[in-house]
Amino acid sequence: MSMKIATLILNGLTEGALFFVLGSGLTLAFGLMKVVNLSHGAFYLLGGYIGLSVLGATGNWVLALAVSGLSIAVFGLLFERTMLLRVRKGGDLPQTLLTIALSTIIADVALAIWGGHPQSIKVPPVINPPITVLGITYPGFRYFLILSSVIIAFALWFILYKTRFGAAVRASVDDRETVSALGVRIDAIYTIMFMLSALLAGVAGVLGGTFLQLSPGEDTTILTYSLVVIIVGGMGSLLGTVVSSLILGQILSFGLAYAPELSMFLVFIPMAIVLAVRPQGLLGRES
Amino acid sequence: MKEAGKKGGRLLAGLLIVTAVALLPLYASPYTITTFIRIIYFGFLAMSVGLLVGQGGMISLTQTAFFGLTGYVVGLLGRERRLPFPVPELSGIAAVIVMATIFALVIMRTHKIVFLMITLALGQICWSFARQNTSLLHGWAGIRGIRPFPLVGIDFTQGSFFYWMSLALFLAGLLIMWRIVRSPFGLVLKGIRENPLRMRALGYPVYWVRVMVFVIAALYAGIGGILAVYATGIVTPTTMQLSRTIWILLVVILGGANYFWGPVVGTVIAVWLDVIISQVTPRYNTVIGVIFVAVVLLTPNGIMGLLDRTRHTFRAATARRRLEGGERE
Amino acid sequence: MRKRVLCLMACVMLFAGALSAAPNTINIGILSAFTGVFSSFGEMQKEGAVLALEEVNYSIAGKKLNVIYADDQLDNEQAVTKAKQLVEQDKIDILTGLVSGDEGLTVGDFMKDKKIPVVPMYSASEDMTMREWYPYIVRATWTGAQPMDPFGYWLAKVKGFKKIYMIGEDYSYPYNQGGGFKRGFFRGGGVEVKTVWHPVPTSDYSSIIASIPLDQGYDAVMYNGSGGDAVAFVKQFVELGMHKKITLIGQSNTFEKPDLDSMPKEIVGSYSAMLTTDDLSTPAWVKFRDAFAKRWGHNPSTASEFAYDSMRMILRAIAKLKGDVSDKAAIVKAMLSVDMSDSPRGPIKLGQYNAIIENVYIRQIALAKDGSMYNKGLFTVKNTSQFGPYDPTLYLSQPADGRAYPPETASALPAEMKQVSKEYQFVPFGQ
Repeated sequence: MSMKIATLILNGLTEGALFFVLGSGLTLAFGLMKVVNLSHGAFYLLGGYIGLSVLGATGNWVLALAVSGLSIAVFGLLFERTMLLRVRKGGDLPQTLLTIALSTIIADVALAIWGGHPQSIKVPPVINPPITVLGITYPGFRYFLILSSVIIAFALWFILYKTRFGAAVRASVDDRETVSALGVRIDAIYTIMFMLSALLAGVAGVLGGTFLQLSPGEDTTILTYSLVVIIVGGMGSLLGTVVSSLILGQILSFGLAYAPELSMFLVFIPMAIVLAVRPQGLLGRES
Repeated sequence: MKEAGKKGGRLLAGLLIVTAVALLPLYASPYTITTFIRIIYFGFLAMSVGLLVGQGGMISLTQTAFFGLTGYVVGLLGRERRLPFPVPELSGIAAVIVMATIFALVIMRTHKIVFLMITLALGQICWSFARQNTSLLHGWAGIRGIRPFPLVGIDFTQGSFFYWMSLALFLAGLLIMWRIVRSPFGLVLKGIRENPLRMRALGYPVYWVRVMVFVIAALYAGIGGILAVYATGIVTPTTMQLSRTIWILLVVILGGANYFWGPVVGTVIAVWLDVIISQVTPRYNTVIGVIFVAVVLLTPNGIMGLLDRTRHTFRAATARRRLEGGERE
Repeated sequence: MRKRVLCLMACVMLFAGALSAAPNTINIGILSAFTGVFSSFGEMQKEGAVLALEEVNYSIAGKKLNVIYADDQLDNEQAVTKAKQLVEQDKIDILTGLVSGDEGLTVGDFMKDKKIPVVPMYSASEDMTMREWYPYIVRATWTGAQPMDPFGYWLAKVKGFKKIYMIGEDYSYPYNQGGGFKRGFFRGGGVEVKTVWHPVPTSDYSSIIASIPLDQGYDAVMYNGSGGDAVAFVKQFVELGMHKKITLIGQSNTFEKPDLDSMPKEIVGSYSAMLTTDDLSTPAWVKFRDAFAKRWGHNPSTASEFAYDSMRMILRAIAKLKGDVSDKAAIVKAMLSVDMSDSPRGPIKLGQYNAIIENVYIRQIALAKDGSMYNKGLFTVKNTSQFGPYDPTLYLSQPADGRAYPPETASALPAEMKQVSKEYQFVPFGQ
């Protein structure tokens, strides 16, 4: 296999890894709450910037990762409890509108605090040695990113299918009323799921901010990619997100190499096909 | 007697406003005229969103894509290829109709949140295509130097003539929208907004009505786009970016999506706010976002909804006072 | 209620319209990016301009200088809106600022019939002073091709490079930089400049870098981009081990400080060419640098120097007219006659099309004593013009620089573009 093709495939896996971390939380929250958090991209950006500041202050990348994930999770908690909860009786639309409004505010405040110049998080050289396998030199951090996404996927699967919380979540997706009647606190489940989704977005922000860049506008790009990932994979389906992340990552990687002018556009083609042929997504349920 | 007087009063008020607005170039500064022109072309876009959201119950985030589409067509055909009026403009309209029909046929089977997400993604596709395509659309530089053509001897590059032409179009657009909303079609649309299942059960072709209204809304956005591109002289991908789309959605909800005048009122306030706020702070987006949150939390029917409630409260209080006063007598 | 609101708004707007400039002030509008992705440019321009303004205490011949800053975030549509505001509402006498090439062309086009001098401080789109020029445009800074033509020529003629693989940002400024580079390179004996364009912005260059062919005899990879894109590209270039396999060179802004400080040290030795270099030591430069550092707490960037020079030219012109700015054509005439031989970056003067004639420095990245990288001057090329060594009529008869022009191979370049009567002279830096 030529070195170029091998590198492109690795790039695709790296992009796919980021897509997965982004899409997994979003799809689970949507499947459960029927609300798409359109602030997801803003959470990513904010998480990345917080990580940047923490790294600048402490020099500890792992701490930056942890702090940003947790702080975005807390942020999500506050938002969900104070605002989303209040309009939930009005249906899905007001909640969605609130997430749209929040995204505008976060993006602007981030611009005010961290400025407009594109920045990236310096990866500690210890996780980023150039690794040469079979003649292909590839930065260690990208391997780390791929590995992290696999771990996260496994962790989510475990939570969803091997814990009581996961069982409650899956049941609530199917039949909210019955689960509520059984004494499970639905609102608490919603909150925890929203927090988890926010946590993943913040973590993705640090991961993405390390090998890509953080700048204004990145939030809408990331949001768009996240939406494509979950639409193609199927809203509410974890396995669907795995599949769509893999496919879309490769498309983006090869697209950037062979037709950079159309790279973003190419990623949308699977979405168009899915919408025309199977609107619930590859592994989604019929609504 | 009182009712007739009230109606006469409202008519007089309306006439006064229209006259004041029509005579604007005679007494206002050029910058004021520029601002009013902005209100007009964004007003078209707002009406486009308002038709779908307010009357049809569908939140669409693709409208700015149509707004930009006509701009690009006019730029490409009018400026670059120097085709004369009305070829670029009509081509723009045609392009909008075609694109809106295709979009609508694909997405009208979906509802609510999914509809919103898909229109968001579609709008983003258009934006990213415009941004990354350099051979035809010049990427983020866009097309510049777009100027309106002289028609029947009138030079529309003059601010006042352009203003009057836009105003005329705007009034026509409002009138047509009024007729649509009041027509049987409009009523069916409202019915679909309230309860699509029931309407389908009653035998109405819900899907086709929705497609039709999407195309009409796209037309409004497209016309606004033509005016915008002539007013500013330039079209860029920024016209279609997500923050613009969110802004226009806010504008409509701020005004009151369910009311006929909501989108226009929202546009007037928002453009006006832009002029004021940008002189005070660059944090315009934060202010907009906070207003959005406040509106959704406190008065989901917007300013018009607030006015309505106040009027009702006022009327109820007056009626109560009259009753109590009568009883005492 | 609605009627009342509308009437109130109309009254406020009328009032605002009436608040035009007082007669004893001179209004200068600075249109730039003060927020958003390019906000660092706006800041740099402001710092340079303010330094010049403070030198005259914001007043000339008894008239007060009123500066109005307008933010367009480098978005072309905003640029037109703000330009309208500056002209119609703030009644400016002179418009300056302007960072990006497209912004400059857009605003230039809008201002065409406004009869107000336009002085771009950083916009390098050559057509502002070529194909889209009109007499009110005065540019005291540069064009995209200006430093790259001598650079390309030098690499081919002196360094013997024959084939370059160029990866560039897909918009007008890199087209112009690449264009100047190709012309000089082919004249000097270069054979091919393969060109790949990528969308702006791009974060992940790994696929593009993986596609660089290593077995086709390219002497170097040129990154034709700047800012965040350049930092990302260079980082990933080194991460993927490419710096060991092929030489890296840059466009004029690729290795500009402070971006250079974010780049990995493995790129020491890379060449570029620009209108300044980090180790300038002429008395004029040292004076400027020290005054700037004292005022703002850090060293000036090229953008600040450009802003300073442009503003100084404006102020000197106004002084020549004894503060009378009512005749705008006279302001332009005064600007053209101002002496700018004491400019910090080297002597500059205005020539045909109100464009600049100035020094270009060929430089190389070196390591300073404190471990940081800086651009070290190698050669000076004096009196370069925006047309390079070409006759203006010949230059303008060629198509404008774009994605596909100039061609990628020397053989496809017209013969008359490969011969000039007088070529550059490379004077060792410091002489």
